[in-house]
Amino acid sequence: MPKGLKDGPFPTHYEPLESPVSNELYSHDTNPAEQWFARQENRFAPPGDPRFPYVLTTYRLTEHHTAGGMSRFLSHLAKLQPEMFAEISPELATQHKINNADYICVVTLRGAIEARALVSRRIRPLALNGKTVHQVALPYHYGTAGLVRGGAANDLLTISGEPNVTIMEAKALTCNIVPGRLPRGPAFAEFLNKYAPQTGPTILHPEERSFRKGQSGGGHAHEGKTWM
Amino acid sequence: MIGEGTQSTNQRRHNYLQENVEVGFFTDPTVCIGCKACEVACKEWNEVPDDGFTWLGNSYDNTGHLGASTWRHVLFLEQDRQKGSQIVSSHSLGSGDGEDPFRWVFLSDVCKHCEEAGCLEACPTGAIVRTEVGSVLVQNDVCNGCGYCVVSCPFGVIDRRPQPLPDAGGAFKCTFCYDRQKSGLPPACAKVCPTESIVFGRLDDLRARATQRVQQLREHGYADAQLYDPIDTSVRGTHAFFLILGEPEAYGLPPKPQVPTIHLKSAWTAAFATAIGALIATLCAFAFL
Ligand code: SF4
Ligand code: SF4
Repeated sequence: MPKGLKDGPFPTHYEPLESPVSNELYSHDTNPAEQWFARQENRFAPPGDPRFPYVLTTYRLTEHHTAGGMSRFLSHLAKLQPEMFAEISPELATQHKINNADYICVVTLRGAIEARALVSRRIRPLALNGKTVHQVALPYHYGTAGLVRGGAANDLLTISGEPNVTIMEAKALTCNIVPGRLPRGPAFAEFLNKYAPQTGPTILHPEERSFRKGQSGGGHAHEGKTWM
Repeated sequence: MIGEGTQSTNQRRHNYLQENVEVGFFTDPTVCIGCKACEVACKEWNEVPDDGFTWLGNSYDNTGHLGASTWRHVLFLEQDRQKGSQIVSSHSLGSGDGEDPFRWVFLSDVCKHCEEAGCLEACPTGAIVRTEVGSVLVQNDVCNGCGYCVVSCPFGVIDRRPQPLPDAGGAFKCTFCYDRQKSGLPPACAKVCPTESIVFGRLDDLRARATQRVQQLREHGYADAQLYDPIDTSVRGTHAFFLILGEPEAYGLPPKPQVPTIHLKSAWTAAFATAIGALIATLCAFAFL
Protein backbone atom coordinates (compact mmCIF):
# COMPACT_ATOMS: atom_id res chain seq x y z
CA MET A 1 0.00 0.00 0.00
CA PRO A 2 1.38 3.49 -0.79
CA LYS A 3 2.85 4.96 2.37
CA GLY A 4 0.37 6.81 4.53
CA LEU A 5 -2.78 5.62 2.70
CA LYS A 6 -5.32 3.97 4.99
CA ASP A 7 -7.19 2.19 2.21
CA GLY A 8 -6.01 0.92 -1.15
CA PRO A 9 -3.68 0.30 -2.90
CA PHE A 10 -6.06 0.42 -5.86
CA PRO A 11 -9.15 2.54 -6.39
CA THR A 12 -12.37 0.55 -6.24
CA HIS A 13 -16.08 1.06 -5.78
CA TYR A 14 -17.98 1.06 -2.51
CA GLU A 15 -21.42 2.50 -2.01
CA PRO A 16 -21.77 5.62 0.15
CA LEU A 17 -22.58 4.96 3.82
CA GLU A 18 -26.19 5.73 2.95
CA SER A 19 -27.29 4.42 -0.42
CA PRO A 20 -30.56 3.45 -2.10
CA VAL A 21 -28.86 0.32 -3.54
CA SER A 22 -26.39 -2.39 -2.51
CA ASN A 23 -22.88 -2.72 -3.88
CA GLU A 24 -22.84 -4.71 -7.13
CA LEU A 25 -19.09 -5.26 -6.93
CA TYR A 26 -18.63 -6.82 -3.47
CA SER A 27 -20.71 -8.40 -0.75
CA HIS A 28 -19.55 -5.50 1.45
CA ASP A 29 -21.48 -2.28 0.69
CA THR A 30 -19.31 0.37 2.29
CA ASN A 31 -15.62 1.12 2.63
CA PRO A 32 -14.44 -1.03 5.57
CA ALA A 33 -11.92 1.64 6.60
CA GLU A 34 -14.54 4.41 6.81
CA GLN A 35 -15.29 5.83 10.26
CA TRP A 36 -18.85 5.90 11.51
CA PHE A 37 -19.74 8.05 14.48
CA ALA A 38 -22.62 6.24 16.13
CA ARG A 39 -24.93 8.61 17.99
CA GLN A 40 -28.69 8.79 18.18
CA GLU A 41 -28.71 12.09 16.23
CA ASN A 42 -26.30 10.68 13.63
CA ARG A 43 -28.05 7.55 12.43
CA PHE A 44 -27.47 6.06 9.00
CA ALA A 45 -30.33 4.57 6.96
CA PRO A 46 -29.64 0.99 5.80
CA PRO A 47 -29.18 0.30 2.06
CA GLY A 48 -32.46 0.55 0.15
CA ASP A 49 -34.45 1.89 3.14
CA PRO A 50 -37.94 2.44 1.62
CA ARG A 51 -38.51 5.44 3.91
CA PHE A 52 -35.65 7.31 2.19
CA PRO A 53 -35.85 6.32 -1.46
CA TYR A 54 -34.06 9.29 -3.06
CA VAL A 55 -30.43 10.23 -3.45
CA LEU A 56 -29.57 13.45 -1.65
CA THR A 57 -26.61 15.49 -2.78
CA THR A 58 -25.31 18.90 -1.75
CA TYR A 59 -23.27 21.43 -3.69
CA ARG A 60 -22.06 25.02 -3.83
CA LEU A 61 -23.32 28.00 -5.79
CA THR A 62 -20.84 30.56 -7.11
CA GLU A 63 -22.73 33.37 -5.34
CA HIS A 64 -22.16 32.06 -1.82
CA HIS A 65 -19.16 31.07 0.25
CA THR A 66 -19.17 27.92 2.43
CA ALA A 67 -22.32 27.82 4.59
CA GLY A 68 -23.06 31.43 3.66
CA GLY A 69 -21.81 33.00 6.90
CA MET A 70 -20.17 35.79 4.94
CA SER A 71 -22.06 35.94 1.64
CA ARG A 72 -25.58 35.90 3.13
CA PHE A 73 -24.80 39.26 4.74
CA LEU A 74 -23.61 40.96 1.52
CA SER A 75 -26.48 42.38 -0.51
CA HIS A 76 -24.68 42.12 -3.86
CA LEU A 77 -24.24 38.38 -3.41
CA ALA A 78 -27.34 37.57 -1.35
CA LYS A 79 -29.58 39.16 -3.98
CA LEU A 80 -28.40 36.74 -6.63
CA GLN A 81 -29.31 33.59 -4.66
CA PRO A 82 -31.80 34.74 -2.05
CA GLU A 83 -33.57 31.57 -0.97
CA MET A 84 -32.98 27.92 -0.16
CA PHE A 85 -34.08 25.63 -2.96
CA ALA A 86 -34.07 21.94 -3.81
CA GLU A 87 -33.49 20.83 -7.36
CA ILE A 88 -35.59 17.91 -8.55
CA SER A 89 -36.34 16.36 -11.92
CA PRO A 90 -39.68 16.93 -13.70
CA GLU A 91 -40.30 13.16 -13.28
CA LEU A 92 -40.03 13.32 -9.48
CA ALA A 93 -42.05 16.56 -9.38
CA THR A 94 -44.89 14.90 -11.31
CA GLN A 95 -44.81 11.89 -8.98
CA HIS A 96 -45.35 14.12 -5.93
CA LYS A 97 -47.57 16.70 -7.73
CA ILE A 98 -45.00 19.42 -7.07
CA ASN A 99 -44.88 22.55 -9.22
CA ASN A 100 -41.81 24.67 -9.77
CA ALA A 101 -41.33 27.15 -6.86
CA ASP A 102 -43.64 25.18 -4.50
CA TYR A 103 -42.42 24.67 -0.95
CA ILE A 104 -41.24 21.16 -0.13
CA CYS A 105 -39.66 19.48 2.90
CA VAL A 106 -36.54 17.35 2.59
CA VAL A 107 -36.30 14.70 5.30
CA THR A 108 -33.46 12.40 6.41
CA LEU A 109 -32.98 10.36 9.58
CA ARG A 110 -31.15 13.37 11.07
CA GLY A 111 -33.64 16.14 10.38
CA ALA A 112 -35.95 17.99 8.02
CA ILE A 113 -35.68 21.34 6.26
CA GLU A 114 -37.85 23.44 3.98
CA ALA A 115 -36.89 24.55 0.47
CA ARG A 116 -38.43 25.88 -2.74
CA ALA A 117 -38.66 23.26 -5.47
CA LEU A 118 -36.58 24.10 -8.54
CA VAL A 119 -37.81 21.65 -11.15
CA SER A 120 -35.23 21.20 -13.87
CA ARG A 121 -34.27 18.83 -16.65
CA ARG A 122 -30.69 19.25 -15.45
CA ILE A 123 -31.47 16.81 -12.63
CA ARG A 124 -31.70 13.36 -14.15
CA PRO A 125 -33.17 10.24 -12.57
CA LEU A 126 -30.47 7.58 -12.21
CA ALA A 127 -30.78 4.02 -13.43
CA LEU A 128 -29.21 1.96 -10.60
CA ASN A 129 -29.21 -1.85 -10.53
CA GLY A 130 -32.24 -1.86 -12.78
CA LYS A 131 -34.31 0.59 -10.77
CA THR A 132 -35.01 4.26 -11.35
CA VAL A 133 -33.65 6.32 -8.49
CA HIS A 134 -34.47 10.02 -8.22
CA GLN A 135 -32.09 12.68 -6.99
CA VAL A 136 -32.60 15.73 -4.79
CA ALA A 137 -29.90 18.38 -5.00
CA LEU A 138 -29.40 21.07 -2.36
CA PRO A 139 -27.09 24.07 -2.08
CA TYR A 140 -25.68 24.18 1.47
CA HIS A 141 -25.34 27.95 1.90
CA TYR A 142 -28.36 28.84 4.00
CA GLY A 143 -28.96 29.30 7.69
CA THR A 144 -30.85 31.34 10.26
CA ALA A 145 -29.16 34.75 9.94
CA GLY A 146 -28.33 37.33 7.31
CA LEU A 147 -30.12 39.33 4.61
CA VAL A 148 -31.38 36.05 3.15
CA ARG A 149 -32.16 32.96 5.21
CA GLY A 150 -33.22 29.41 4.66
CA GLY A 151 -33.05 25.78 5.69
CA ALA A 152 -29.54 24.50 6.41
CA ALA A 153 -28.68 21.47 4.29
CA ASN A 154 -26.11 20.55 6.95
CA ASP A 155 -29.03 19.64 9.26
CA LEU A 156 -29.66 16.65 7.00
CA LEU A 157 -26.14 15.26 6.79
CA THR A 158 -24.39 12.50 8.68
CA ILE A 159 -21.03 12.86 10.41
CA SER A 160 -18.56 10.26 9.23
CA GLY A 161 -14.86 10.07 8.52
CA GLU A 162 -13.29 9.24 5.19
CA PRO A 163 -10.30 7.02 6.17
CA ASN A 164 -7.51 9.28 4.93
CA VAL A 165 -8.65 12.84 5.48
CA THR A 166 -11.52 12.22 7.96
CA ILE A 167 -13.94 14.34 5.94
CA MET A 168 -17.60 13.44 6.21
CA GLU A 169 -19.62 12.14 3.32
CA ALA A 170 -21.75 15.19 2.49
CA LYS A 171 -22.38 14.57 -1.20
CA ALA A 172 -24.18 11.21 -1.24
CA LEU A 173 -26.95 10.34 1.20
CA THR A 174 -30.57 9.23 1.09
CA CYS A 175 -33.69 11.28 1.77
CA ASN A 176 -37.41 11.61 1.29
CA ILE A 177 -39.42 14.63 0.15
CA VAL A 178 -42.79 15.82 1.42
CA PRO A 179 -44.72 18.54 -0.49
CA GLY A 180 -45.75 21.58 1.53
CA ARG A 181 -44.25 23.83 4.19
CA LEU A 182 -42.32 22.59 7.20
CA PRO A 183 -44.34 22.73 10.43
CA ARG A 184 -42.82 24.91 13.20
CA GLY A 185 -42.76 24.56 16.98
CA PRO A 186 -44.03 21.35 18.60
CA ALA A 187 -45.59 20.33 15.27
CA PHE A 188 -42.06 20.04 13.84
CA ALA A 189 -41.10 17.25 16.25
CA GLU A 190 -44.30 15.44 15.36
CA PHE A 191 -43.61 15.87 11.63
CA LEU A 192 -40.02 14.63 11.96
CA ASN A 193 -41.08 11.64 14.04
CA LYS A 194 -43.65 10.70 11.41
CA TYR A 195 -41.19 10.59 8.51
CA ALA A 196 -37.99 9.78 10.45
CA PRO A 197 -38.80 8.09 13.80
CA GLN A 198 -36.44 9.58 16.35
CA THR A 199 -36.61 6.66 18.78
CA GLY A 200 -35.32 3.11 18.27
CA PRO A 201 -31.84 1.66 17.91
CA THR A 202 -28.89 3.97 17.23
CA ILE A 203 -27.37 1.63 14.68
CA LEU A 204 -29.55 0.82 11.68
CA HIS A 205 -26.97 0.16 8.98
CA PRO A 206 -25.77 -3.49 9.11
CA GLU A 207 -22.17 -2.57 8.34
CA GLU A 208 -21.98 0.07 11.03
CA ARG A 209 -22.42 -2.78 13.55
CA SER A 210 -19.24 -4.51 12.43
CA PHE A 211 -17.19 -1.34 12.69
CA ARG A 212 -14.84 -1.40 15.69
CA LYS A 213 -13.12 1.48 17.38
CA GLY A 214 -9.61 2.08 16.09
CA GLN A 215 -10.17 -0.09 13.02
CA SER A 216 -9.19 2.59 10.57
CA GLY A 217 -5.91 3.33 12.30
CA GLY A 218 -6.63 6.66 13.92
CA GLY A 219 -6.74 10.22 12.70
CA HIS A 220 -6.86 13.75 13.96
CA ALA A 221 -10.64 13.77 14.31
CA HIS A 222 -10.79 10.87 16.76
CA GLU A 223 -10.29 12.88 19.86
CA GLY A 224 -13.42 13.73 21.77
CA LYS A 225 -15.79 11.79 19.53
CA THR A 226 -18.30 9.38 20.99
CA TRP A 227 -17.71 5.83 19.79
CA MET A 228 -19.74 2.70 20.20
CA MET B 1 -7.85 37.28 -25.21
CA ILE B 2 -7.49 34.27 -22.90
CA GLY B 3 -3.82 33.36 -22.67
CA GLU B 4 -2.66 36.95 -23.08
CA GLY B 5 -2.69 37.43 -19.32
CA THR B 6 -2.26 41.03 -18.21
CA GLN B 7 -1.84 42.07 -21.85
CA SER B 8 -5.44 41.15 -22.65
CA THR B 9 -7.64 44.14 -23.55
CA ASN B 10 -9.80 43.10 -20.58
CA GLN B 11 -6.88 43.69 -18.22
CA ARG B 12 -4.42 46.24 -19.54
CA ARG B 13 -4.62 49.99 -19.24
CA HIS B 14 -5.58 51.92 -22.36
CA ASN B 15 -6.00 55.40 -23.82
CA TYR B 16 -9.11 54.72 -25.88
CA LEU B 17 -10.95 57.68 -24.38
CA GLN B 18 -8.13 60.16 -24.97
CA GLU B 19 -7.68 58.86 -28.52
CA ASN B 20 -11.45 58.84 -29.33
CA VAL B 21 -11.31 55.15 -30.28
CA GLU B 22 -14.70 53.45 -30.53
CA VAL B 23 -14.89 50.57 -28.08
CA GLY B 24 -17.36 47.80 -27.37
CA PHE B 25 -18.26 44.60 -25.60
CA PHE B 26 -18.39 41.25 -27.35
CA THR B 27 -20.25 38.72 -25.20
CA ASP B 28 -19.90 35.05 -26.06
CA PRO B 29 -22.24 32.68 -24.15
CA THR B 30 -20.47 29.56 -25.44
CA VAL B 31 -17.65 30.12 -22.94
CA CYS B 32 -19.73 31.71 -20.15
CA ILE B 33 -19.86 29.57 -17.00
CA GLY B 34 -22.73 31.50 -15.37
CA CYS B 35 -20.64 32.58 -12.37
CA LYS B 36 -22.29 36.06 -12.27
CA ALA B 37 -18.95 37.64 -11.39
CA CYS B 38 -19.74 40.32 -13.99
CA GLU B 39 -23.06 41.11 -12.33
CA VAL B 40 -21.48 41.38 -8.88
CA ALA B 41 -18.46 43.40 -10.07
CA CYS B 42 -20.82 45.83 -11.82
CA LYS B 43 -22.91 46.31 -8.67
CA GLU B 44 -19.78 46.70 -6.54
CA TRP B 45 -17.98 49.23 -8.71
CA ASN B 46 -21.04 51.32 -9.48
CA GLU B 47 -22.50 51.01 -5.97
CA VAL B 48 -25.81 49.83 -7.38
CA PRO B 49 -28.25 49.39 -4.48
CA ASP B 50 -30.05 46.09 -3.88
CA ASP B 51 -33.69 46.26 -4.91
CA GLY B 52 -35.00 43.37 -2.83
CA PHE B 53 -34.27 39.69 -2.42
CA THR B 54 -36.64 37.69 -4.56
CA TRP B 55 -36.14 34.12 -5.60
CA LEU B 56 -37.57 33.72 -9.10
CA GLY B 57 -37.54 29.95 -9.55
CA ASN B 58 -36.21 30.46 -13.06
CA SER B 59 -33.06 28.33 -13.25
CA TYR B 60 -30.28 30.20 -11.39
CA ASP B 61 -31.51 33.62 -12.50
CA ASN B 62 -32.79 35.78 -9.65
CA THR B 63 -32.49 39.21 -11.25
CA GLY B 64 -34.78 38.47 -14.18
CA HIS B 65 -33.94 41.36 -16.48
CA LEU B 66 -31.86 44.49 -16.87
CA GLY B 67 -33.14 47.52 -15.00
CA ALA B 68 -32.25 50.55 -12.91
CA SER B 69 -30.42 48.35 -10.39
CA THR B 70 -29.21 45.54 -12.66
CA TRP B 71 -26.81 46.74 -15.34
CA ARG B 72 -25.36 43.34 -16.19
CA HIS B 73 -27.80 40.46 -16.13
CA VAL B 74 -26.74 36.85 -16.55
CA LEU B 75 -29.52 35.00 -18.27
CA PHE B 76 -29.87 31.24 -17.63
CA LEU B 77 -31.60 29.54 -20.49
CA GLU B 78 -32.68 25.91 -20.13
CA GLN B 79 -33.58 24.85 -23.63
CA ASP B 80 -35.09 21.46 -24.14
CA ARG B 81 -36.02 21.74 -27.74
CA GLN B 82 -33.55 21.16 -30.47
CA LYS B 83 -32.78 24.42 -32.25
CA GLY B 84 -30.86 23.54 -35.35
CA SER B 85 -27.92 21.20 -35.04
CA GLN B 86 -26.48 21.15 -31.55
CA ILE B 87 -24.28 19.04 -29.30
CA VAL B 88 -26.51 16.64 -27.38
CA SER B 89 -26.04 14.58 -24.26
CA SER B 90 -26.29 10.81 -24.39
CA HIS B 91 -27.04 10.53 -20.65
CA SER B 92 -30.79 10.60 -20.77
CA LEU B 93 -33.31 8.21 -19.34
CA GLY B 94 -36.34 6.99 -21.19
CA SER B 95 -36.21 9.30 -24.20
CA GLY B 96 -35.96 6.23 -26.42
CA ASP B 97 -33.52 7.34 -29.09
CA GLY B 98 -30.88 8.10 -26.46
CA GLU B 99 -30.55 11.64 -27.73
CA ASP B 100 -31.52 14.55 -25.53
CA PRO B 101 -31.39 18.00 -27.08
CA PHE B 102 -31.35 19.70 -23.66
CA ARG B 103 -28.84 22.48 -23.19
CA TRP B 104 -28.14 25.14 -20.56
CA VAL B 105 -26.97 28.46 -21.97
CA PHE B 106 -25.70 31.48 -20.01
CA LEU B 107 -25.64 34.93 -21.54
CA SER B 108 -24.49 38.08 -19.79
CA ASP B 109 -26.85 40.78 -21.08
CA VAL B 110 -26.05 44.49 -20.95
CA CYS B 111 -27.07 47.85 -22.46
CA LYS B 112 -26.34 47.62 -26.18
CA HIS B 113 -24.92 51.16 -26.46
CA CYS B 114 -26.76 51.53 -29.77
CA GLU B 115 -25.33 53.35 -32.75
CA GLU B 116 -28.74 55.06 -33.05
CA ALA B 117 -29.91 55.03 -29.43
CA GLY B 118 -33.62 55.37 -28.70
CA CYS B 119 -32.95 56.59 -25.16
CA LEU B 120 -30.60 59.32 -26.31
CA GLU B 121 -32.92 60.49 -29.09
CA ALA B 122 -35.84 60.75 -26.68
CA CYS B 123 -34.10 62.51 -23.79
CA PRO B 124 -35.43 66.13 -23.64
CA THR B 125 -32.91 67.44 -21.10
CA GLY B 126 -29.70 66.35 -22.80
CA ALA B 127 -28.89 64.12 -19.84
CA ILE B 128 -28.09 61.22 -22.16
CA VAL B 129 -24.97 61.80 -24.22
CA ARG B 130 -22.66 59.96 -26.61
CA THR B 131 -19.17 59.63 -25.14
CA GLU B 132 -15.75 59.85 -26.80
CA VAL B 133 -15.62 56.05 -27.06
CA GLY B 134 -19.06 55.74 -28.66
CA SER B 135 -20.95 54.57 -25.58
CA VAL B 136 -24.27 56.05 -24.39
CA LEU B 137 -24.11 57.69 -20.96
CA VAL B 138 -26.82 58.99 -18.64
CA GLN B 139 -25.65 62.00 -16.62
CA ASN B 140 -27.63 61.51 -13.47
CA ASP B 141 -27.20 65.06 -12.22
CA VAL B 142 -28.98 66.33 -15.35
CA CYS B 143 -31.69 63.64 -15.65
CA ASN B 144 -35.08 64.98 -14.47
CA GLY B 145 -36.77 61.58 -14.33
CA CYS B 146 -39.31 62.18 -17.13
CA GLY B 147 -38.98 58.54 -18.26
CA TYR B 148 -39.09 59.22 -22.03
CA CYS B 149 -35.95 57.10 -22.47
CA VAL B 150 -37.56 54.11 -20.75
CA VAL B 151 -40.24 53.68 -23.42
CA SER B 152 -37.84 54.58 -26.23
CA CYS B 153 -35.26 51.85 -25.67
CA PRO B 154 -35.99 49.03 -28.13
CA PHE B 155 -34.32 46.52 -25.78
CA GLY B 156 -36.06 47.40 -22.52
CA VAL B 157 -32.73 48.21 -20.88
CA ILE B 158 -33.00 51.59 -19.19
CA ASP B 159 -35.38 52.12 -16.28
CA ARG B 160 -36.22 54.62 -13.53
CA ARG B 161 -35.21 53.70 -10.03
CA PRO B 162 -38.20 53.27 -7.72
CA GLN B 163 -38.58 54.59 -4.16
CA PRO B 164 -37.14 54.10 -1.58
CA LEU B 165 -33.78 53.38 -3.26
CA PRO B 166 -31.04 56.03 -3.38
CA ASP B 167 -31.44 58.50 -6.29
CA ALA B 168 -34.98 57.24 -6.83
CA GLY B 169 -36.79 58.69 -9.84
CA GLY B 170 -33.74 59.02 -12.07
CA ALA B 171 -33.05 56.81 -15.07
CA PHE B 172 -30.19 54.33 -14.77
CA LYS B 173 -28.37 51.83 -16.95
CA CYS B 174 -24.86 50.57 -17.76
CA THR B 175 -22.37 53.46 -17.93
CA PHE B 176 -19.80 51.39 -19.83
CA CYS B 177 -17.73 52.22 -16.73
CA TYR B 178 -17.09 55.69 -18.15
CA ASP B 179 -15.35 56.67 -14.91
CA ARG B 180 -12.95 53.71 -15.13
CA GLN B 181 -12.33 54.31 -18.82
CA LYS B 182 -11.36 57.92 -18.12
CA SER B 183 -8.54 56.53 -16.01
CA GLY B 184 -7.58 53.99 -18.65
CA LEU B 185 -9.17 51.03 -16.85
CA PRO B 186 -11.30 48.39 -18.59
CA PRO B 187 -14.97 48.09 -17.48
CA ALA B 188 -15.44 46.11 -14.25
CA CYS B 189 -17.45 43.24 -15.79
CA ALA B 190 -14.87 42.53 -18.50
CA LYS B 191 -12.04 42.81 -15.98
CA VAL B 192 -13.45 40.07 -13.74
CA CYS B 193 -14.87 37.67 -16.32
CA PRO B 194 -12.77 34.52 -15.74
CA THR B 195 -13.47 32.99 -19.15
CA GLU B 196 -13.40 36.19 -21.20
CA SER B 197 -16.95 35.52 -22.24
CA ILE B 198 -17.14 39.30 -22.04
CA VAL B 199 -14.45 40.90 -24.16
CA PHE B 200 -13.81 44.61 -24.03
CA GLY B 201 -11.78 46.29 -26.75
CA ARG B 202 -11.72 48.32 -29.94
CA LEU B 203 -14.98 47.93 -31.84
CA ASP B 204 -13.28 47.00 -35.13
CA ASP B 205 -11.14 44.33 -33.42
CA LEU B 206 -14.16 42.87 -31.65
CA ARG B 207 -16.24 42.66 -34.82
CA ALA B 208 -13.46 40.74 -36.57
CA ARG B 209 -13.01 38.49 -33.56
CA ALA B 210 -16.75 37.80 -33.31
CA THR B 211 -17.02 36.85 -36.98
CA GLN B 212 -14.09 34.49 -36.55
CA ARG B 213 -15.66 32.89 -33.47
CA VAL B 214 -18.98 32.26 -35.24
CA GLN B 215 -17.05 30.62 -38.07
CA GLN B 216 -15.09 28.45 -35.63
CA LEU B 217 -18.22 27.33 -33.76
CA ARG B 218 -20.01 26.43 -36.99
CA GLU B 219 -17.04 24.30 -38.00
CA HIS B 220 -17.36 22.52 -34.64
CA GLY B 221 -20.99 21.58 -35.18
CA TYR B 222 -22.84 24.53 -33.68
CA ALA B 223 -24.76 25.16 -36.86
CA ASP B 224 -27.09 27.66 -35.16
CA ALA B 225 -24.32 30.01 -33.95
CA GLN B 226 -24.87 33.56 -35.14
CA LEU B 227 -23.99 37.14 -34.30
CA TYR B 228 -26.60 39.41 -32.76
CA ASP B 229 -25.73 42.92 -33.87
CA PRO B 230 -28.72 44.57 -35.58
CA ILE B 231 -26.79 46.54 -38.20
CA ASP B 232 -29.56 46.32 -40.81
CA THR B 233 -32.22 47.91 -38.62
CA SER B 234 -32.71 51.55 -37.63
CA VAL B 235 -30.54 50.85 -34.57
CA ARG B 236 -27.67 50.59 -37.07
CA GLY B 237 -25.58 48.28 -34.95
CA THR B 238 -24.50 48.24 -31.34
CA HIS B 239 -21.40 48.72 -29.23
CA ALA B 240 -22.30 45.66 -27.19
CA PHE B 241 -23.04 42.72 -29.39
CA PHE B 242 -23.56 39.04 -28.69
CA LEU B 243 -22.89 35.66 -30.12
CA ILE B 244 -26.02 33.55 -29.78
CA LEU B 245 -26.95 29.92 -30.37
CA GLY B 246 -30.39 29.71 -31.94
CA GLU B 247 -32.85 32.53 -32.31
CA PRO B 248 -32.63 35.94 -30.58
CA GLU B 249 -36.17 35.59 -29.17
CA ALA B 250 -34.97 32.79 -26.87
CA TYR B 251 -32.67 35.32 -25.19
CA GLY B 252 -35.28 38.05 -24.95
CA LEU B 253 -33.56 39.97 -27.74
CA PRO B 254 -35.85 41.55 -30.36
CA PRO B 255 -35.11 40.11 -33.81
CA LYS B 256 -35.70 43.49 -35.50
CA PRO B 257 -35.24 46.30 -32.98
CA GLN B 258 -36.30 49.75 -34.22
CA VAL B 259 -35.53 53.18 -32.83
CA PRO B 260 -38.93 54.83 -32.14
CA THR B 261 -37.79 58.05 -33.85
CA ILE B 262 -38.22 56.39 -37.26
CA HIS B 263 -41.93 56.95 -36.67
CA LEU B 264 -41.39 60.67 -36.11
CA LYS B 265 -41.99 61.69 -39.71
CA SER B 266 -45.28 59.85 -40.04
CA ALA B 267 -46.33 61.00 -36.56
CA TRP B 268 -45.65 64.65 -37.41
CA THR B 269 -47.31 64.30 -40.81
CA ALA B 270 -50.42 62.87 -39.15
CA ALA B 271 -50.39 65.61 -36.50
CA PHE B 272 -49.99 68.28 -39.16
CA ALA B 273 -52.85 66.86 -41.24
CA THR B 274 -55.08 66.76 -38.17
CA ALA B 275 -54.22 70.37 -37.35
CA ILE B 276 -55.07 71.53 -40.88
CA GLY B 277 -58.30 69.54 -40.75
CA ALA B 278 -59.27 71.10 -37.42
CA LEU B 279 -58.48 74.58 -38.78
CA ILE B 280 -60.64 74.07 -41.87
CA ALA B 281 -63.47 72.69 -39.75
CA THR B 282 -63.31 75.72 -37.46
CA LEU B 283 -63.29 78.16 -40.42
CA CYS B 284 -66.22 76.34 -41.98
CA ALA B 285 -68.14 76.53 -38.70
CA PHE B 286 -67.67 80.31 -38.62
CA ALA B 287 -68.46 80.67 -42.34
CA PHE B 288 -71.93 79.16 -41.81
CA LEU B 289 -72.76 81.27 -38.79
S1 SF4 C 1 -29.89 49.55 -25.42
FE1 SF4 C 1 -31.49 51.00 -24.78
S2 SF4 C 1 -30.57 52.07 -23.04
FE2 SF4 C 1 -28.88 51.08 -24.15
S3 SF4 C 1 -28.15 52.64 -25.63
FE3 SF4 C 1 -29.66 51.39 -26.72
S4 SF4 C 1 -31.57 52.54 -26.44
FE4 SF4 C 1 -30.18 53.35 -24.89
S1 SF4 D 1 -18.24 36.86 -15.43
FE1 SF4 D 1 -18.03 35.96 -17.49
S2 SF4 D 1 -18.26 33.72 -17.17
FE2 SF4 D 1 -19.06 34.73 -15.31
S3 SF4 D 1 -21.26 34.98 -15.72
FE3 SF4 D 1 -20.29 36.90 -16.39
S4 SF4 D 1 -19.91 36.56 -18.59
FE4 SF4 D 1 -20.31 34.54 -17.71
